[in-house]
Amino acid sequence: MTIRADCACKSLIKYHEELCGDKVELLCTDDSYIMILADGMGSGVKANILATLTAKILGTMFLKGASLDECVETIVKTLPVCQVRHVAYSTFSILQVSRDGQAYLVEFDNPACLMLRGGQVCPIPFRLREIAGKQIKEAHFPVRTGDIYLLVSDGVIHAGVGQKFPFGWTWEAMAAFAAAQALSCRRAAQLAERICEEADQLYDSRPGDDTTAAVMRIVPAQIVHLMTGPPSDPADDERIVEALMEGDACRIVCGGTSATIVARQLKRPLMPTLLFADPDIPPIAHLQGIDLVTEGVLTLNRAVALLRRYTAAGPQLKGGPDDHLARDLANENGGALLASTLIERCTDLHLFVGKAVNMAHQNPDLPFDLGARQLLVEQLKNLVQAMGKQVSVTYF
Amino acid sequence: MTVTICIGSSCHLKGSRDIVSRLQTLIAEHGLNEQVTLAGAFCSGNCVQGVVVTIDGEQVHSVSPDNTETFFQNEILPRLAQ
Repeated sequence: MTIRADCACKSLIKYHEELCGDKVELLCTDDSYIMILADGMGSGVKANILATLTAKILGTMFLKGASLDECVETIVKTLPVCQVRHVAYSTFSILQVSRDGQAYLVEFDNPACLMLRGGQVCPIPFRLREIAGKQIKEAHFPVRTGDIYLLVSDGVIHAGVGQKFPFGWTWEAMAAFAAAQALSCRRAAQLAERICEEADQLYDSRPGDDTTAAVMRIVPAQIVHLMTGPPSDPADDERIVEALMEGDACRIVCGGTSATIVARQLKRPLMPTLLFADPDIPPIAHLQGIDLVTEGVLTLNRAVALLRRYTAAGPQLKGGPDDHLARDLANENGGALLASTLIERCTDLHLFVGKAVNMAHQNPDLPFDLGARQLLVEQLKNLVQAMGKQVSVTYF
Repeated sequence: MTVTICIGSSCHLKGSRDIVSRLQTLIAEHGLNEQVTLAGAFCSGNCVQGVVVTIDGEQVHSVSPDNTETFFQNEILPRLAQ
């Protein structure tokens, strides 16, 4: 089984503080995803430094393949000692999930990782181990697609302590809330946002502690192949179409000439439509075996604009700062169809880009620079990467 | 009769959408919906002459939104009369 992870986090800063004393590191290696939550002792600058050092050291060492024992020893020896309390201290949790579906969880003094499977709260069997004088919880277990893992700082489970609840929100009540909310969350960022919103309400918008939720959703790999532009050497037409058609993937072609090449190679008819869902974007076409066929640069330009708005808007689509975004993404024009596919049904994007220059596009009288394909491809790549997805580009 | 209008990038910017809607109106006004089918086409490589319009896949016409009606009168109607 090949899995992917959708990771996101959200923090509330303790009331009257400017810096957060919780730190989350989200890392992605060639074969695994790593989510680290560190909660530095105290609050403000000191806590921020402790948490940042801890999360960064753990992340860097894990990336380089160091053992847990080495990581913990390094932290114990490195953290500056607090002059008030005479200890160096930051709690941490590490969740590493490999792409073949194996999880490794490590916890030190943080609230327990919440696992939601099939919408239910599931216990995670762990064993205790002492490393460098610290009691560490460790667990190895297989994940399944659909699983949701949630790491929180104690600011979450203590939300509302002494005000709304005598003991605060509590882990159990928070877990039940997360389980109910997860049903209607399609993305990790939405769940992290809702947990922090709820904690903020319990705190009466004055958090008594730094409050952080980090969410990892396990999703099946969804591979998208996108071809755009004719190859600079027509002899490569066959190769670019082979790359597009290879393996199990959602296939998209952006470009009229590109689509004509694909239709010719596949020996299937290309059927353009005349449906202008948006007056500024040329209509899409149909081609058997290809999931989406669109015009080239104008469509790519629209998709890039939508993805840019999407990444700027944050996790809240409706009622957020960009209220029209959900509506614009739901439009049936080629640009919106491309953008929503990349947002909702893509974990890995492989771009196959032809570098031929269309002479007719080199016309300074046209109101849009049609030669902008490679620039748009570069922007598309950066935006999709910023959304935490894997992107590769092959030029022909 | 099938009239094909290029909807590629270059022709799109030169007004193919306008031409499509003008032709749709003209065809409806003349009651020719049964006899004329409009279709889209991607780039045929004649962008410099855009907007590229072909009748029954034959010769290439260079049409603009301004001369759409002339094109309809001079090319489409006489062919239908034949």
